[in-house]
Amino acid sequence: MNSLIQVNNLSKHFGDKYALNDVSFEVKQGQTVALVGPNGAGKTTLFSILCGYLRPSSGSVSIMGKPLGNPSLFGTLSALPQDATLDPRFSLQKQLSFYARLQGLSLANATNEASRVLELVGLADNHHAKISELSHGMKKRVCIAQALIGEPKIVLLDEATAGLDPLNAREIRHVIASLSEDITFILSSHDLAELEKLCDHVLYLNQGQLTTHDRDTSTGSSQYVTLTLIDSPRNAIEQLKQLNGVLHVSQSQNKEYIIEYQANFEQFDIHLLKYCHKLSWQYRQLVNGHTLENQLFQKD
Amino acid sequence: MSLFRVWQLAQFELTRLFATKRGLLALSAFAMVWFMILNYLIAQAVPFISSPEFSEVAQELAGNIGLQKLVSWPQAELAVFWLIALYSFPGFCIFVCSDQTVGDRLRGTLRFISLRCTRDEILLGRFLGQLLIIAILISLTVLATFLVMIYRDMSLFGSGLALSLQLILQLVIVVMPFIALMSLLNLISSSSRLTVVLAILLFTLANALIGYLSYYLPIISGLLYAFPGVQLLDIAPQTSTSMVNWLLPIGQSAGLLALSAFTFRRRSL
Repeated sequence: MNSLIQVNNLSKHFGDKYALNDVSFEVKQGQTVALVGPNGAGKTTLFSILCGYLRPSSGSVSIMGKPLGNPSLFGTLSALPQDATLDPRFSLQKQLSFYARLQGLSLANATNEASRVLELVGLADNHHAKISELSHGMKKRVCIAQALIGEPKIVLLDEATAGLDPLNAREIRHVIASLSEDITFILSSHDLAELEKLCDHVLYLNQGQLTTHDRDTSTGSSQYVTLTLIDSPRNAIEQLKQLNGVLHVSQSQNKEYIIEYQANFEQFDIHLLKYCHKLSWQYRQLVNGHTLENQLFQKD
Repeated sequence: MSLFRVWQLAQFELTRLFATKRGLLALSAFAMVWFMILNYLIAQAVPFISSPEFSEVAQELAGNIGLQKLVSWPQAELAVFWLIALYSFPGFCIFVCSDQTVGDRLRGTLRFISLRCTRDEILLGRFLGQLLIIAILISLTVLATFLVMIYRDMSLFGSGLALSLQLILQLVIVVMPFIALMSLLNLISSSSRLTVVLAILLFTLANALIGYLSYYLPIISGLLYAFPGVQLLDIAPQTSTSMVNWLLPIGQSAGLLALSAFTFRRRSL
């Protein structure tokens, strides 16, 4: 896979406080990347540097082999910046067409493109509306629409579904999932369940420092599943350990068990579900590997 | 730098004035003010200047303040217009051009735009857009004055037309550094109102301070040449043939824009 974003030893400090401290990572083409971390961890700072809104204190960023701010990246790198909104004096159609024109589209194509992206985020009936006339969720969708103008290769979405109702959030997730074949998305969110569904690579930022996790990595002689049950049966750990192929069982939280099993055991998941059925256990969820939450926050 | 993108940005500025309610309202107010100026100042002053009874007094009065050449223009309407426009358009620019980037920066709209063009392009595009707006407004007021003039005396059509074009060009050059100064102040202030306040402070306090300090250290008076409009008194009588008076505002504009570009490249959005 080609490297789309290469970040080396990136640091950014505001006065004495380091928002990012020696951060390095690589994003490859086709990956959908989650940027996770507590409030104030430096996620928005990292996004702002990648978009060219902030200058790094030290380190380098290369996007598709080009330095930050290189004009050849216009239209290729796109973003939904946090708390940014369109000009309330102009219609959505006018502003999105203007952005499309800046990306080099002809007048007719720019108008069509504005309509296409508005339709993509479910706002086809709001061409002539102004941003101030829209609800919070609709405003967010308009800002996502502007990020999809043209043919971007990389789209950074900072808290794309924050503050949206479940239905709107679902629609946005659907848009991201449907476009992720052609576009590399980097998503920042506090909703781990959402990132779990969409992302295959995780960047975890905490106090300006970064760790990376590949969600589909399965190396060595063992693999993991995470089983969540509806009830909490007695001696569940002991009973799970008796299942063929199981190497180790631990309880990550109430009713949730992490099961380590032999990598060469074929169809272990079906084997496990049959075992649950036999014991009259009802399961809520079976995750292949660790849940994102456990991956990031489980200490052992 | 892409001239296509600069032109797109400049064009979009035009729609702010001519295709938004707020812009059209401002345009109506501008038209009403100039209607008053034309009707009560220019139209009333011209018979006074041109009348045989008062012409001698007017000539003497104008001569005392160095405006003898202006009073001798047969296109008297344009002469009065020139004096009013020369001192009112720079001030008008300070208000009209007070929100070139600051509003978009606070709202975050500039973040969307900066993903599609360089900061230099944004700066130049916005500056050119504002310059176009002011140039159009200057042209409209000159046209209105020209119409009033040929209504009085149709024989002035040819000479008046040439003079009108000359005044448009001269006024556009005069306002350029004021717009460039507002570009710079937009980058360091946190609202369009504060931009206006900073401009007023610059033209009053800073100007007075330099004047005071130059009394003790004459070399400091050279700083006054950095102020837009420093040459207005020299060009008002239309007697100066020195090109310096016209090159100075162009140089000031280039300098202020270069300083703005330097500042803009370094600031966060």
